Amino acid sequence: MDTTFFVKALGIAFSGVPIALFVAAIALIIAIPLGFIFALLRLQRVPVLYQFVKIYVSFVRGTPIIIQIFILYSSIPLLLTGIFERYNVPIEVYTIHPLWYAFIIFSFNTTAILAEVFRGALQTVDEGQKEAGYAVGLTTFQVYRRIIIPQMLVAAMPNLCTATVNLIKATSLGYAISLPEITLRTKVAANVGYHYVEAYLAIFIVYLVVCLLVEYGFKIMERKLRRYEGGVIC
Amino acid sequence: MEKYFDSTYLWNAFPQILPFLGVTLLVTILAVLLGTLLGLLLAFMKLSPSKISQRIANGYTTIMRCTPSIVLLFLIYYGVPALAESLFSLNLQDVHTGFYVVITFGLQFAAMMSEVIRSSLLAVPKGQYEAAVSVGLTPSKAYMRIIFPQALLFSLPNIGNGIISVLQEGALAYTIGFIDIVGKANLIIANNLNTHTLEIFLALGLIYWLLAISIDQFFALLERKLRVGKDVA
Repeated sequence: MDTTFFVKALGIAFSGVPIALFVAAIALIIAIPLGFIFALLRLQRVPVLYQFVKIYVSFVRGTPIIIQIFILYSSIPLLLTGIFERYNVPIEVYTIHPLWYAFIIFSFNTTAILAEVFRGALQTVDEGQKEAGYAVGLTTFQVYRRIIIPQMLVAAMPNLCTATVNLIKATSLGYAISLPEITLRTKVAANVGYHYVEAYLAIFIVYLVVCLLVEYGFKIMERKLRRYEGGVIC
Repeated sequence: MEKYFDSTYLWNAFPQILPFLGVTLLVTILAVLLGTLLGLLLAFMKLSPSKISQRIANGYTTIMRCTPSIVLLFLIYYGVPALAESLFSLNLQDVHTGFYVVITFGLQFAAMMSEVIRSSLLAVPKGQYEAAVSVGLTPSKAYMRIIFPQALLFSLPNIGNGIISVLQEGALAYTIGFIDIVGKANLIIANNLNTHTLEIFLALGLIYWLLAISIDQFFALLERKLRVGKDVA
């Protein structure tokens, strides 16, 4: 074991953390509202859209992420080329930064996961809560904003945490789209002297640290969201 | 000009990929078996009164939950031979890559299963055990006949999800040169000089999708069948 390379690899792996977290954050920003809308579409059984969401969720849950990456990464350029040629957009498809692909791919995946998470969480909120909200004169938007969503979020938190951790883990597949995140950066550095054991040990530690921090963050957030629960007098 | 998307490539991919489905399934089954055994052990460690074994088992689960499959796979693939070499001066050069794949996903499945088994054992009311012992069953018989069958029923949906996830994570085995359905698909693409990748990957996606749906349905059916006794009581 080469300790000096191991220390160097740790540094390189940590330098990939911002990009991994950035991709995960953007994917969550897109997927949280979309996933929530999809969950509502499914619960309200909106015709056509409901079927679409069901198939989409089933596909994402039924196929490995790496296959989704392969499919999207080979189909998006085809679609874009078609669109760009049609509207004479002077952008060369093959010069698009892999970050854009990462945003699309990981939002595509996470939206479906969160649609399921929110669907389950919405079902835990009693129907009477909504009716009570209407009865005191709130609009539908207000009912969701003030009554349903705060309660749903508490139920969704543990699964949201799992989804976020899985998302960050999934960015390790960024090598397939040449995204220079934690794994790819360190692997490239290890190629020089075949220091693979040290490199993967370093990557392993970095993911462990990131993941534990994220889980800790979610625990704090969950405690904050639960602060209203204790005072209810039945 | 050549067509961007040619569905004949998609249909032609199936007869080429499907013969390798057996390899994928075999690796999944072996990983599930290994993972279940280790998962049982971990679950008992978590339920044991000993603080140390609880800590070890919980720590193991946390570490596995936090490690991306691809990192674990490469860590095992490079790390196990290096360890064997330096500790026991064993040469693992000729070991089949499938061995590392099974170890990796077995270890991962064990972490999932330990949680599934632990929570399903806790879900069986304590009175069930007491009732069984009070009618004269020995503790081991009470577990075999009363506790485990009920716990199994509780855990079925989670076992199904776990197996699907092992199957999906197993798609990464191609990265260490293992030829399963994903490895074969990549070979086909290489033969096509990297053209028509989309069609091949779509075929691959369809195969995985169908497999996941079948496993899902199978476990739902199993649950309905096993629930029969429950409803009568």
